[in-house]
Amino acid sequence: MNSRELMLLRLNASQTQEVGATPYGMLSIFPVTGGSFEGERLRGKVLAGGGDWVARKADETLELDLRVTLETDDGALIYMTFTGLRDDAHHYFRTLPRFETASAKYAFLNRLLAVGIGEIRADGPVHIIEEIL
Amino acid sequence: MNTRPLMLLRVNVTTPQNIGTAPHGTRRIVPISGGVFEGPRLRGTVLAGGSADWLLLRSDNVLELDLRVTLQTHDGALISMRSFGLRHGPPDVIAAIGRGEPVEPATYYFRTTPRFQTAQSTYGFLNRLVAVATGDRRPEGPIYTIHELL
Repeated sequence: MNSRELMLLRLNASQTQEVGATPYGMLSIFPVTGGSFEGERLRGKVLAGGGDWVARKADETLELDLRVTLETDDGALIYMTFTGLRDDAHHYFRTLPRFETASAKYAFLNRLLAVGIGEIRADGPVHIIEEIL
Repeated sequence: MNTRPLMLLRVNVTTPQNIGTAPHGTRRIVPISGGVFEGPRLRGTVLAGGSADWLLLRSDNVLELDLRVTLQTHDGALISMRSFGLRHGPPDVIAAIGRGEPVEPATYYFRTTPRFQTAQSTYGFLNRLVAVATGDRRPEGPIYTIHELL
């Protein structure tokens, strides 16, 4: 399968909210306070207010459910979500981002599927996001 | 993006249920009557019942696909597969698909992102992967070439 670079996304999170054992697993909420994204076709900052709802399942893998708002350097707002899977035992951290925008310039985002490769770095998570061609 | 082949999935579709224009778009449900899947690590059949594709044609003419199928492997394991997808392309190509004509898959965008759930340890690796697929809409039903995202 072919893909094309879309963006590098960096997220900053504040203190984790440990909800605890729910019927769906151990739920942790990571509030997103900001961040940045950069690619050939778009760049800008992550607005505060989003978060990642992370459930640890019985097989010790993490199910991710992220929602954030991106603001491009020219003022467009883009709603981004992803679901994903993080399996630290197998060094596997992959996400499936989706985008919604009303901006005609960035409307191509409404029509693509993407995959993300996640990394946990010292200053927070980084996602390398590629468009599926 | 590095991938490796997971399976080729062929599903057979039956008469669509046209719900019509809903607030989010035009909703159509396509029940799946069966099918087959085959790959290096698993093969089997698609079960009828609970298997369908919930389609939503958006106002920007992008078709959203929300597929749920139950797979039964040749050795009896049940696997629940769900995939979200998008399909769009030039109007004449999309119209030809609508008329049930065979269309070259490279002429339009038809991609999905399958996830799997199973209780069978033989196939437990499916619980721990994310997949991507290309679709080929044939008159008798779509064929998905599914790759594991490495």
